[in-house]
Amino acid sequence: MQGLTVALLAWALLHPHGGGGGDAWPTHTACKNGDLEVLYQSCDSLQDFGFSIDQCSKLLKPNINIRFGIILREDINELFLDVTLLTKGSSILNFSYPVCELDQPKFSFCGRRKGEQFYYAGPVNSPEFEIPKGEYEVLLELYNENHSTVACANATVICS
Amino acid sequence: MMPLSRLAGILIPAMAFLSYLRPETWKPCTEVVPNISYQCMEVKLYKIPDNIPSSTKNLDLSFNPLRHLGSHSFSNFPELRVLDLSRCEIQIIEDDAYQGLNHLSTLILTGNPIQHLAPGSFSGLSSLQKLVAVEINLPSLENFPIGHLKTLKELNVAHNSINSSKFPEYFSNLSNLEYLDLSNNQIQNIYRKDLQVLHKIPLLNLSLDLSLNLIKFIQPDAFKELRLHKLTLRSNFDSINIMKTCIEGLAGLKVHKLVLGEFKNERNLDTFNKYALEGLCNLTVEEFQIAYFDEFSLDDIGTFNCLANLSAISLVSLYVVNLEKLPKDFRWQSLELINCKFEQFPSLSFYSLKTFVFTANHYSNTFVEFELPSLEFLDLSRNGLSYRSCCSQADFGTTRLKYLDLSFNDIIIMSSNFLGLEQLEYLDFHHSNLKQASDFSVFLSLTKLLYLDISYTNTRVTFHGIFHGLESLKILKMAGNYFQDNFLPDIFTELTNLTFLDLSTCHLEQVSQRAFDSLPRIQVINMSYNKLLSLDILPYQHLHSLQVLDCSFNRIKASNIQEPQRLPSNQTLLNLTQNDFACVCEHQSFLQWVKTRKRLFVEVEQMVCATPSDMQGLSVLSFRNSTCQMSKTVISVSAVFVFIVFLILVLVYKFYFHLMLLAGCKRYGGGECTYDAFVIYSSQDEDWVRNELVKNLEEGVPPFHLCLHYRDFIPGVAISANIIQEGFHKSRKVIVVVSQHFIQSRWCIFEYEIAQTWQFLSSCSGIIFIILQKVEKSLLRQQVELYRLLNRNTYLEWENNVLGQHIFWRRLRKALLAGKPWSPEAAADTENKEPEATASI
Repeated sequence: MQGLTVALLAWALLHPHGGGGGDAWPTHTACKNGDLEVLYQSCDSLQDFGFSIDQCSKLLKPNINIRFGIILREDINELFLDVTLLTKGSSILNFSYPVCELDQPKFSFCGRRKGEQFYYAGPVNSPEFEIPKGEYEVLLELYNENHSTVACANATVICS
Repeated sequence: MMPLSRLAGILIPAMAFLSYLRPETWKPCTEVVPNISYQCMEVKLYKIPDNIPSSTKNLDLSFNPLRHLGSHSFSNFPELRVLDLSRCEIQIIEDDAYQGLNHLSTLILTGNPIQHLAPGSFSGLSSLQKLVAVEINLPSLENFPIGHLKTLKELNVAHNSINSSKFPEYFSNLSNLEYLDLSNNQIQNIYRKDLQVLHKIPLLNLSLDLSLNLIKFIQPDAFKELRLHKLTLRSNFDSINIMKTCIEGLAGLKVHKLVLGEFKNERNLDTFNKYALEGLCNLTVEEFQIAYFDEFSLDDIGTFNCLANLSAISLVSLYVVNLEKLPKDFRWQSLELINCKFEQFPSLSFYSLKTFVFTANHYSNTFVEFELPSLEFLDLSRNGLSYRSCCSQADFGTTRLKYLDLSFNDIIIMSSNFLGLEQLEYLDFHHSNLKQASDFSVFLSLTKLLYLDISYTNTRVTFHGIFHGLESLKILKMAGNYFQDNFLPDIFTELTNLTFLDLSTCHLEQVSQRAFDSLPRIQVINMSYNKLLSLDILPYQHLHSLQVLDCSFNRIKASNIQEPQRLPSNQTLLNLTQNDFACVCEHQSFLQWVKTRKRLFVEVEQMVCATPSDMQGLSVLSFRNSTCQMSKTVISVSAVFVFIVFLILVLVYKFYFHLMLLAGCKRYGGGECTYDAFVIYSSQDEDWVRNELVKNLEEGVPPFHLCLHYRDFIPGVAISANIIQEGFHKSRKVIVVVSQHFIQSRWCIFEYEIAQTWQFLSSCSGIIFIILQKVEKSLLRQQVELYRLLNRNTYLEWENNVLGQHIFWRRLRKALLAGKPWSPEAAADTENKEPEATASI
């Protein structure tokens, strides 16, 4: 009993503010099919999020349907997506895409506020091509007009 | 177990003590601005913290499980201006919860699952201007207790479950309301009586957003005679017929701006036809925007018959076939075509159009001339257009153009210098590919231009007159271009009004001393991301208005700005971060100057050393002067030491023989020998003996006493007797001056042979040979003995050059000194000691 008290106290001293970050978020599966597997892990210290891809195929179609859900920690009057594609540690593709612009809100979630739920189920534009065999790292980051991270993910694409 | 319990006994008070030790009393919150702004987002607070200063104006308590707001919850913070309670799981807000917050202007309640709002929940908020009540389970506006908030300007109740469009009576109090967001609710029907209260508000200037409500019905005349600033209806209708009747229901509305359309991810309409917009004829609209209708086509002019009298039209993300058929008598002053699909660049011709925005459109590759005689504002950016001959009045059909944006396009060939476009004030080409921009004075006629951006246009500046004519220019951006030889020449000569200059990422390595001489009003110069190796302050010295000089991200090792008076002005801020500073003593004065004038630098902590390796990554501020002083003294002391040693060596060499005298004894010579050396020479060589040998040896230091026949032989005695008595007997050494004549002279040979015999008999003297001149070998062979001796012994050779003679005399002196007892006593001593030394061995 006393040993338990000591352990508890030691833990309390080591974690004075009750965690908050520290451990990495678990790895989730966005989609899995015979020859393609997409795994992701949130790299935002504040929160994990849900994400899935409807069609899981090596052959990318021009419109793939995704589902994405998060509770916003920031306002998103403007929203930008940065994508970095890495293979074996070296970057091979890098692009930035404006999702929400102030004057012309393209999506219904543009302009949502901190604390609001953000759920998107719908198509995203993608180039039409077949993913070559291999393992790829994709870094995705959504950030707002103040460069505050809205969501961030380390995804692994395994194509066999 | 006993020790464990004792440990617990120690830890409990220690923990209590540590918790008191925390210096930041506002924990777990973060102080953003002391006493003003505090951030407590997601820190597991179950109640309002009481350790935040009462002077706080900005408090963020979002993402904490507060759950329940009792009355007077915030009485500790009477100065609050902004209060963020997003997603605090608040279910109950009691009466007077915000009482006392008389200065609060913004209250955010987003994402709280509110179940009970007491009627006096918002009482006391006498200055509230903005209330965000998004996603709070609000079922209707009727029971929302905000009727007394007369100062309210913005009310956001989007993403709730409001299903009635009924504006409650209390809206007549909200006379300052400017913005009401009702989007993403469940309003289906809008009746005339619902909006009745809005007619009671004098000077109503309301913007109303009803997007994402699936509207089925709008009662005719519901909006009749209502005046709004802006009405937004996006993704509201799920069939074209409903849309048509609803737009007809808007009849009689006077609205400054009407927005119709859908969102990319919220498509409801499958088809679209021109009759849907017929109802617009009964509205009074100034500006009209249509956005994201997938099937919308402007093919038929009839669609726009009702819109002929509008002042501004904006079409976003539509499929527009062509605009050529639009009649010229339309009174549009502004036309925006953004992200639309065109089969070709529209060739327009409108008399009234003043503003034309044509950006981010697809399938319109080549610029085609148009005729817009009133045009003042033209934005053609982000189209990927190629432009074969830019730019003149003929291209746009106007002489009034003030604003021209051609950024983010394809190749633009500069072939004329803006003839007829002299009114231009703003000109932007950035990220387009400019051709021939540096071939002639392209901008010569643009004397009114204020802003010019040619950043990242692939321009290679070779022609120094490129900016001639731009006498009014205030802002020039030319980042990401190239200069010949990576050298910035004197190209800004006529830009006397320039205040801002961006030269970043131009691969510059050097800057002309006179580059900025003609820019007396310049305030900001950006030279970052170049390849400058040092910062020379000379070109900036006369710029008295300069406020910011940015040289970050270069390769600067050091600078010559040590003297403050050489800085252009006291207000100048220097940005020298991310350079390759060499923190070595060579640049000590610069580094010292940085330390003393820290305030001059932007982020001085980011100025880090690149060399030497032990300072790498450290701030230049950590450079210690003492290291230099240390090494300086070390260097100077060692230099002095080396000099002294050298001097001593030189002196020792020079006064070697004086020192020998001093070290030995005051007196020298003595013993049985009167002379130091007997000189054997041919009378033919007497000149040399007299002028060189005698002079050097007898008058030098130490003075030697030579035995010379012409001086020292006693007259009346036979020569041979003299030779033996005076010469050999009284001399320690014999100097033989060998020359051609010496070998030929019998006397000389005689003397030499006696010398040899003498040397054999007495051990005290040695023979020193001096070869005065080369003797023929055949001649020398006649004297076999001499020949052998010369072959076996070291001899001195007289040379004609100065150095050779110097060495000759030193060697001769040394030879003469050898075996010479310095004083009789010393000589006796050594004689006495030698046997002892031997004995001791």
